[in-house]
Amino acid sequence: MNSFTPPELITAFPEIFLAIMSLMLLMLGVAGKEEKHKTVSNFAALTLLLLAGAVYRFCHGSNLTFNDMFINDTFGAFMKVLVLIGSAVSVYMSTHYLERQRIMRFEYPVLIMFSTLGMMLMISAHDLISLYMGLELQSLPLYVLAAFQRDTVRSTEAGLKYFVLGALSSGMLLYGASLLYGYTGTTEFTHMANVLNGTGAVSLGVIVGMVLLLSGLAFKISAVPFHMWTPDVYEGAPTSVTAFFAIVPKIAALALITRVFMGPFGHIVHEWRQVIVFISVASMVLGAVAAVRQTNIKRLLAYSSIGNMGYALVGLVAASEEGVKAIMIFTAIYMVTSIGAFAVVLMMKQRDRMVENIYDLAGLGQTQPMLALAMTVMMFSMAGIPPLAGFFGKLFVFQAAINAHLYALSIIGVLTSVVAAYYYLRVIKVMYFDAASDDTLDRAEDRRLNGLLAVSALALVLFIIAPGPLLTTAQAAAQSLFAL
Amino acid sequence: MIEAVFFYVFATVLVLSAIGVITARNPVHSVLFLILAFFNAAGLFVMLGAEFIAMIMVIVYVGAVAVLFLFVVMMLDINFAELRKGMMKHAPVGALVGFALLAEFTWMFKSWSPSSAALNGVAQPIPDQAAISNTHALGEILYTQYVYLFQISGLILLVAMVGAITLTLRRRPDSRRQSVAGQISRRPEDVLKVEKITSGTGVF
Amino acid sequence: MQIGMAHFLVLSAILFTLGVFGIFLNRRNVIIILMSIELILLSVTINLVTFSSYLHDLTGQVFSMFILTVAAAEAAIGLAVLVSFFRNKSSIAVEDISSLKG
Repeated sequence: MNSFTPPELITAFPEIFLAIMSLMLLMLGVAGKEEKHKTVSNFAALTLLLLAGAVYRFCHGSNLTFNDMFINDTFGAFMKVLVLIGSAVSVYMSTHYLERQRIMRFEYPVLIMFSTLGMMLMISAHDLISLYMGLELQSLPLYVLAAFQRDTVRSTEAGLKYFVLGALSSGMLLYGASLLYGYTGTTEFTHMANVLNGTGAVSLGVIVGMVLLLSGLAFKISAVPFHMWTPDVYEGAPTSVTAFFAIVPKIAALALITRVFMGPFGHIVHEWRQVIVFISVASMVLGAVAAVRQTNIKRLLAYSSIGNMGYALVGLVAASEEGVKAIMIFTAIYMVTSIGAFAVVLMMKQRDRMVENIYDLAGLGQTQPMLALAMTVMMFSMAGIPPLAGFFGKLFVFQAAINAHLYALSIIGVLTSVVAAYYYLRVIKVMYFDAASDDTLDRAEDRRLNGLLAVSALALVLFIIAPGPLLTTAQAAAQSLFAL
Repeated sequence: MIEAVFFYVFATVLVLSAIGVITARNPVHSVLFLILAFFNAAGLFVMLGAEFIAMIMVIVYVGAVAVLFLFVVMMLDINFAELRKGMMKHAPVGALVGFALLAEFTWMFKSWSPSSAALNGVAQPIPDQAAISNTHALGEILYTQYVYLFQISGLILLVAMVGAITLTLRRRPDSRRQSVAGQISRRPEDVLKVEKITSGTGVF
Repeated sequence: MQIGMAHFLVLSAILFTLGVFGIFLNRRNVIIILMSIELILLSVTINLVTFSSYLHDLTGQVFSMFILTVAAAEAAIGLAVLVSFFRNKSSIAVEDISSLKG
């Protein structure tokens, strides 16, 4: 019998706490009556927010536990804080919308909590098996959430499409993982890094395995060429679910990709660099070009998120500490911008019916100037126009690329950014320079959405004044990833 | 020698039933071919010395997943003739891609050898089969070294249950249910009211 | 002829290819797509158990056991989504699964 030392549970304390709270909220929802469902939602948002604070305050240093399958380091803590805040905000934003669509059920926040738990496990994965389990725990609730509005064809079709493509990508990821296991004889990342230490030729099996693993993960961040599901699923799913999709799962998947490619594959950068360059360039180009024709704002934001993931991957291509830091800063800023943009989308209704066309925003500059101003801030930030935060996100990423001598990549990035700015500016033009039609948008009166929109707009505007905390935290986190 | 016979029998039936899954005209036949494929895979696993996985495969995959597929196939009234319409159009391109993929994989696997590090030391070496059975060996490590994964798989199964119920449970409006707690917590004051009536007048 | 690791690996590659091919072929029939995905997972399981056997390592078998569990959960959710889709549309033809081409 092998000697067995019990795992250090304290390292995984946030995840254990989240799991227990999800179970308790599930029971509360089952036992309670209809009116209690909103309480579950509020409790869920509160728990996630408190956990974000706890992780920020207490998770430092690098700890491995559970037979080296779970790692808790500063990089992970940074990403987990982003994920938790994003989830808390998504739950908070969704209540009003769900009630109006009459799909407010307690399973919604509970599924979001389970998905968030899966994301935290993904970020902390240090082993191929725990990577897969975390990924599945994150994905399964998302399939259900996409189909949550189960009486409409749109939503169930979105859920079905998402499920089929997601299951296929999981299958490919697993095949790649099995090849990696077969060659290196281990599933744990540190051992794998030792085997794949760059001396000697890299076996074809490893390359195929790595590419398949990457394709499975690229699906999750909707990078080209695995992006096909994104516009349709974003459009079909209920808007608050789309907001959750755009804001949170990509952060976790990006963190996972970063950890996997900096960790076990950290010594064979020359093998995977071209692949990620290809994916990154294709995503940036597609995000810029394909969105131009879109008039549905949810599809527009879907293509925009594809493009943004392309920019984030540029930081990964740099394969340096600076690159990882850039990814984190970019992701944090992208999250805030997404929150603001989707807060606006959730407010778009005419005579109490949700609308999704860009041209429904016409004349907003005159009818609701504050709302139009906030949306302008969001759009300018996404386009990367200084002095807003979005500009700095892209600046860091391109700087990391230049310092790694990837000049062509940075030039392509800047060019696509300019092209993409067109459709952001078009939204602003519609708001300010198109005449308001008779069917103008209802007054935005939801306090929660207004509050979130104001906070995110302010954060983007004021970032230039006080970037310090974010930058130093990101620096420390990037260092921790390389220290191991 | 006999090992080779078994392998080729299992492998051939497995591949043929996989082809049957994707080309059968009747979806029920597809599911039955899938079940046959799983059984043959289980046979292969026994050959590889992983009898616990083989048994679990039969119990879980055949007994649960395939039966679930069969339920759904029978429940949904599907017009399969219409669904097969586009099939032949895409077959050539798909076959080409498939062959290319297969050729590449075969070429890669023909000369596959694990890294030297892999052969030197692995995480969970298989103990002598004569001393400890496969099931025993797996049991020794599953709840100790891999307890983390065990717990997560429990959560995944819970999520699957919650998700399936969320999507498909409908309350029938005309079915009446008992609320036992409600019945027991009923108090006399709620349902009875004692009125003092003078005779000759009514209640109201 | 000695049965070695390569035989099992080629077999699993055949199954993987058949699974992918099945998805290409049956784009409109979602149930066959789900079964093709099960074939892909079966090929992964064969891969893992083969490696486990030839490397004398139980990790592969543990991995395949958890894949089995998750595949069952995934099948349950997939079928639930399919059923709810069917209830709305009374057909399981999905016109745009051609997006799988990308």
